[in-house]
Amino acid sequence: MTARTLPTHWLLVAVPAAFLLAFFVLPNALLLSASFLKSEAQQLTTEPTLDNYKFLLTRSLYLEVFLRTFVVGIAVGLIDVVLGFPLAYFLVRTRSRWKGLLIALSLAPLLASVVVRTYGWYIILNRFGVANDALLGLGIIDQRIPFMPSTGAIVIGLAHALLPYTVLSIMGSLNGVNPNLESAAMSLGASRTRTFLDVVLPLSLPGIAGGFILVFSIAISAYATPAILGGPATQVAATAIYGFIMQLLDWSLGAALAVILIASSLALLYAAARFGVRRTAL
Amino acid sequence: MAARFLSAAWRANEGPWAMLRAVVAFVYLFSLGPILITAAVSFNQTNRSFFPPRGFSLRWWERAFAPEWIDPLLFSLKLGSLTALLSTLLALPLAFALFRYRFRGREALVALTLGPLMLPTLVTGVGLLQLFQYIGWREYLGFAALLVGHVVICLPFAVRTVGISLHTLPPNLELAAGSLGATRWRTLRHVVFPLIKSGIVAGAVFAFIHSFTDVNLSIFLARPGQIPVTVKILGFLEFGFAPTLAAVSVITLLLPLALVAIIERVSGLGDFIYGDHRG
Repeated sequence: MTARTLPTHWLLVAVPAAFLLAFFVLPNALLLSASFLKSEAQQLTTEPTLDNYKFLLTRSLYLEVFLRTFVVGIAVGLIDVVLGFPLAYFLVRTRSRWKGLLIALSLAPLLASVVVRTYGWYIILNRFGVANDALLGLGIIDQRIPFMPSTGAIVIGLAHALLPYTVLSIMGSLNGVNPNLESAAMSLGASRTRTFLDVVLPLSLPGIAGGFILVFSIAISAYATPAILGGPATQVAATAIYGFIMQLLDWSLGAALAVILIASSLALLYAAARFGVRRTAL
Repeated sequence: MAARFLSAAWRANEGPWAMLRAVVAFVYLFSLGPILITAAVSFNQTNRSFFPPRGFSLRWWERAFAPEWIDPLLFSLKLGSLTALLSTLLALPLAFALFRYRFRGREALVALTLGPLMLPTLVTGVGLLQLFQYIGWREYLGFAALLVGHVVICLPFAVRTVGISLHTLPPNLELAAGSLGATRWRTLRHVVFPLIKSGIVAGAVFAFIHSFTDVNLSIFLARPGQIPVTVKILGFLEFGFAPTLAAVSVITLLLPLALVAIIERVSGLGDFIYGDHRG
């Protein structure tokens, strides 16, 4: 496009830009500053300090929270890539006349709130839930097992909630893989396994990496699923931030924890961008 | 042709394809099972989550339509619709500027626009709560604060979808209209706007769904009486299972689904979610 005079742009963007500066940049700047201020008697003071970070990064309780958050993120990312790849591959290559419907079904869960999707797992996993009833009924167990609250339940719930993101991401890159390449490899004598490992997998790697990173970054900042399927003994970063701010009214520690979460999330997205992976539109 | 050849090759080797189908069936079960179970247990006669449901009763559904649940549901609908409207209005000029012009500071504006997508929503929620308390806007917590927050987090989606449709529009069309004597406004109104309409609608729908399903931001900005349905469900889960919640969950799932189905009929929304499944 030809460059036009400057004032037009400023008129076009002034309102939304001002809106974002006021309600996105400013709140985050406030949050950042709160993380370096001392809190006393549930009030933020003006005294600068690094104690908030020191506190969070030295207590084993919070180190455990970071570790759990990170492990949950990785586990959820891996599960979703492993489950998402075959589904994406099938959806891209199938010649079924139900293809459109199958794609819609695989993405439909995105339309439901994470609360709703996690609630299904609550119904299944709680002590008096579907899983326990089934196992008791089949005589596999003779006592009810508390499947939740647990880190495992959080992982399953999040993996379920975030699966469509890896499917979308991997489909995006498989769509770019010409099926001729596969037939060519096979007609040249490569086995199905070799064709998959040497042709399909490398070509879909950007989608796999993109899906993993997207899911990881959403999982480490997810609140609802850990709140429903976890408990006080299985806190993750998001539930701990909520606890600090809404229950303990300790803005300093809540803000510092949020900043640590942002920093790790941004570092990851930056690394991903360097590898050419981008967040998809949804 | 290629696809046919490939499928012939597959057929010569049915095994792996059959295995893939089995795996895919399992993934669908994993993905849709919990949702279907939720729907099923809402018809239980007792207030236990028996599956398959014991007896059949609509009493939990009746309760789901009582004011206790209808009010937050309507609140979420109102919030989502206004969010969709406002974020579309704000997204249009942004998308035009970013996708139509080269200017100094463009990169900064891109970063500003995509920022809410990069930062965890939860963090934006905490920051907004702090801002509202800091400048003494406590009384605006609830609907007003939620609206502001939802527009912030939905704006990037709207800008991207509008941007994509602007991007696919040949710039020559505008030049042609201009050289035929149309004013800038007439060109916009009669050439550009009709052609990017589906992008605008898609952006608004994404914004609505993003708002309607949000939890991470809303938990910080809601207040009693002004509370989205997702936050209300979350609060009730602390008291354990209630079949009413299952019924409410199903309703909150069906609403966006119906919306998307209608819009998809009217203006091919699928293109924006998933590029070329028609091709």
